[in-house]
Amino acid sequence: MNSSSTLYKKKGPLVVFLVPAFAFLILYLYYPFLQNIVNSFSDITGLGTPAQGLNDPWWANYTELFTDPALRTALKNTMILTICTVVFQVGVALILALLVDSIRVGAQLFRTLYFFPIVISATALGLMFNLIFLYNGGMLNQLLTNLGFISENVDWKDTNHFLATMLTPVMWQYVGFYFVILVTGLNNIPSDLYEAAALDGCVGLDKVRYITLPLLRNVLCTCLVLAITGALKVFDLPWVMFGAGMPQEQGWLTGTYMYHQTFNRGNVDYGSAIAMLIVVLGVVLSNVANRVFKPQNDL
Amino acid sequence: MKQKRFLALLLAAVMLTGLLAGCGGKSGGSDSSSGSSAPSSGGQDAAEPAAASVELNVVTSYGGDDGHRKDYENAVKGYEEATGNKILDASATSNEEWKAKVLTDFETGTEPDVLFFFTNADAEPIVKAGKVVDIATIRADYPDYGSNMRDSMLAVASDGKNYAVPSSGFWENMFVNTKVLSDCGVAVPGPDYTWDQFLTDCQAIKDKGYTPIACSLFEVPHYWFEFCVMNNGTLANQLDLPASADDAAGQKWVAALNDIKDLYEKGFFPANTLTATDAETVQLFGDGEAAFLIDGSWKVTHFVDNYPEHLDEFAISYVPAKGERKASEAIGGISMGYFITKKAWDDPAKREAAVEFVKHMTSDEVMSTFVTTEVTALKNGASPSGLNALQQSAADANANITGVVGAVQDTVSSECKTDLFGNVQNVVTGAMTAEDAVNSAIALN
Repeated sequence: MNSSSTLYKKKGPLVVFLVPAFAFLILYLYYPFLQNIVNSFSDITGLGTPAQGLNDPWWANYTELFTDPALRTALKNTMILTICTVVFQVGVALILALLVDSIRVGAQLFRTLYFFPIVISATALGLMFNLIFLYNGGMLNQLLTNLGFISENVDWKDTNHFLATMLTPVMWQYVGFYFVILVTGLNNIPSDLYEAAALDGCVGLDKVRYITLPLLRNVLCTCLVLAITGALKVFDLPWVMFGAGMPQEQGWLTGTYMYHQTFNRGNVDYGSAIAMLIVVLGVVLSNVANRVFKPQNDL
Repeated sequence: MKQKRFLALLLAAVMLTGLLAGCGGKSGGSDSSSGSSAPSSGGQDAAEPAAASVELNVVTSYGGDDGHRKDYENAVKGYEEATGNKILDASATSNEEWKAKVLTDFETGTEPDVLFFFTNADAEPIVKAGKVVDIATIRADYPDYGSNMRDSMLAVASDGKNYAVPSSGFWENMFVNTKVLSDCGVAVPGPDYTWDQFLTDCQAIKDKGYTPIACSLFEVPHYWFEFCVMNNGTLANQLDLPASADDAAGQKWVAALNDIKDLYEKGFFPANTLTATDAETVQLFGDGEAAFLIDGSWKVTHFVDNYPEHLDEFAISYVPAKGERKASEAIGGISMGYFITKKAWDDPAKREAAVEFVKHMTSDEVMSTFVTTEVTALKNGASPSGLNALQQSAADANANITGVVGAVQDTVSSECKTDLFGNVQNVVTGAMTAEDAVNSAIALN
């Protein structure tokens, strides 16, 4: 009794434990972030080269953000990705979770199967999907040719198809993540509620609509917020599959475009300005998502 | 309670120490030399310092998938066995990202001891920053440093000094798939190959159902750009840089881009040239589905490794010429060499080891394992043995080469060439004019 109250009264141990983590954050997050703000106003002509003073005018990079057509494309694609993430990742995960929750045998197997893509690195997945969508000898083209659906190979990365080709693997990769969260939420719904509802004649889709979804609301809200903020950070899989803006500068995402400007073109200051835009976008969207999908404490 | 508090404080202290240890000053692997090898004044008593093992940080472009990776590993192993020193190798595949990373390492003080890097404009930042040591300074202490090389072929930096001991050079020329050509009734191009004949041949190849030119305009349009620039100028003015699209050099670049556009519009590139990678289009050529491929001497090793049974189906030919250029004129030279960094030179424990390493890697014996048909600066020349069909074909083609010049892309900034080559796809599809593409790139140089 005495010892625990002493622990809470004395702040010393708390400080000692918090300092390393705080120092780590300052060193590797806050300092680089502040430096990034400075960089976005500076004139830096190469990766690793010192700034040649401030830009002329110092806000030049921020005006360029509004006039750069490639960045507009990147923002448009990122928004499409975010919407698709909400609809397909969380939506499909919810349907799968409801289906798996309603079966008696093999639920654990399906949990493992659907979660499996998460543990594979994005680079490996990118290479795998590259082989699937390959123009010459790719799995999809071979399959469609053999089934008689196409007579000539389809370029799945051209301007007509690239969006679906880019989004499909990203959606597929993270469905399992939300699936596991939602299944866990479903398991927490007391079974006696379903039994009582069944006695009142509530079965099938009515059960889902009037019991499952309302009680799953908080978990669903958490999934949606995670999905929206996660979509803004997608980089690795599209980069492996599409590289620098393929096809014809139409395939940019904000993350890939920032990387390209900074590391491929050495336009570090403009890359920093794009990074700031991504941060602002992330903060705004996550706030909006948090307000719209605010969890309710009474559930 | 006291024990718990002590334990808690100890744990926190360990965590904090661990965190701060990461910020420590040593940049890797240099503490094993125990300071025993002070730099010798004449470099003659190399055996003495080598007695204590020295760890050298080395960065080269002989990364995992480089055609000479095995040769490099063998050479390093030979050095380690001969000296007892250890090489901490951080080599990677050469591309623009790798170049940027190397330069960043120099900026942040984490440069290697020995660097195998480009000797052109790419090396200027480290030369200007005084981060590498010039050969004359090294020769003051080690007179035989790089003495097996022809001094006239050493790369000259903007300050007029030589910094890198050259390794093997390169050539760029046209690979042809003789099986495809034969099937299409097209003769293997000779040193008098013309652009008009090339267009006729491409049409015949296309009509037969093959892809005439294996090239990813998305990833590697620069080979065709270089030769198209030469086709619209001369060997002598190949390296002239435009100030805008309107001057003579600019007009050359514009015409080159329009030539590539013409080939694209005629359907001579692969159907997915705007979305394919270099690896995909090279495979198209290797698998006998495309006829022509412009690439460099390094690609010979790729075909030797991946198509050992079909080497007699490939040959090195000549890029078609128009205007004043002859088809026997090609791109080539020596673009890379070994640098010793100032950091290693100033370190008494590493100076001698670094010098010995470069001398070993550029010795006649080691160089002969890297060279098959490439240009070298060796006074005695390299003595490659057992050339296969493709290498012999390259040697035969090189024997007919009447002129060689460096690549113009090596003389412009990274941002300029990234912009120019990134816009090739926009030019060929008509989304941008060639003039705008040239002006956009030059503005970034």
